[in-house]
Amino acid sequence: MTQTLCDTVELTIPCRPEYVGVARLAVLGIASRMPFSYDEVEDVRLAVGEACTHAVERAGSTVAQIKIVSTIDSVALVIEVSDDVPADAEPVIPDEDAQALAAAGVDQQGLGALLMEILVDEVKITSTASGTSVRLTKFAPE
Amino acid sequence: MTLKKASSDWTQADTDTLFARYIRTRDPVLRDRLVVLHQNLVRYLASKFVNRGEPLEDLVQVGSIGLINAIDRFDADRGTKFSTYATPTIVGEIRRYFRDKAWSLKVPRRLQELNQAAAKAQEDLSSKLGRPPTIQEVAARIGATEEETLEAIELGNAYDTVSLDSKMMSDSDSAPLSLAEFVGAEDESLQALEEYGDLDKAIECLDPRERAIIVHRFFKDMSQAEVAKQLNISQMHVSRLQNRALQQLKRFMNAAESS
Repeated sequence: MTQTLCDTVELTIPCRPEYVGVARLAVLGIASRMPFSYDEVEDVRLAVGEACTHAVERAGSTVAQIKIVSTIDSVALVIEVSDDVPADAEPVIPDEDAQALAAAGVDQQGLGALLMEILVDEVKITSTASGTSVRLTKFAPE
Repeated sequence: MTLKKASSDWTQADTDTLFARYIRTRDPVLRDRLVVLHQNLVRYLASKFVNRGEPLEDLVQVGSIGLINAIDRFDADRGTKFSTYATPTIVGEIRRYFRDKAWSLKVPRRLQELNQAAAKAQEDLSSKLGRPPTIQEVAARIGATEEETLEAIELGNAYDTVSLDSKMMSDSDSAPLSLAEFVGAEDESLQALEEYGDLDKAIECLDPRERAIIVHRFFKDMSQAEVAKQLNISQMHVSRLQNRALQQLKRFMNAAESS
């Protein structure tokens, strides 16, 4: 690979559902810089979408922001999705689907984390009182 | 305990009891109930993959296969929650579906189609509204999400307008090569292959002795002397027959070419 330097792209969006698509679009462009297949690019995109969606759900009506920092080098694509949603924010009221899931014994939050773990190579979630950060790593193919 | 029970009354404990009974009895009726009970999980996971261009129902079908496998293999005693156990199996089945469908080959085409649809919608809406339409309006017209529409407008274009002068990836030291340098020329051996077919027919038209001489001389690389010995005729005779055969082949090939 000719690319040895590491490139960084930063994007900050309001922590609201209508902006999750913007993050997903940006990630499409960023992940396409890596030698990933379409499926892999879509997997990264879905994982970032999940991270953002959970920030939005946790925020509820609290005004917050999501910062998406992507770092690309020849080894891996690392995307850190951090929000400033306080731990005591009032989350959105779960819709019917979520209630049905809960009834079947499914914890949606845990499911999102699980989904991310399936889609990318490494997931590291760090939560503090002032926000949550999800670090997603997808390695370049050998 | 039946599924008729309203979902709000249904609890995790009920699910656990149902599972315990199924594991003990392997009763297919209980299995069906478990499948129905977890349809929401499958649907939820499948819905995450819809913007890859496959109908949700197809993904739910595929995901259900994963669910059934997970139900059959689940061991409640391991202390894992069923949804945690089943999710990788369901998602794995959905992802394999995309991989097997050679989905990645279809994406550019789908984006191109969406791109063309978006371009047409832009034109139609412009004349109808008397102003350029918004992305939302275009998306509504082509029945795609705003995200898909933006993606199609941005990327769909890229797929059919690659410049011949665009630089291709190359090894670190050498200068980048342009796409034009990778574009092949007409393959002459293909033309040759066609001619072989004609030649084959021409050889079949020769009389058996002439045909034997041509085959021995040109396909088996034998000398005129060897052929003469094989056919029990003089080398002079071989030479004469060979010339006559070649003349005939030449005539035949010329005729084939001009027809």
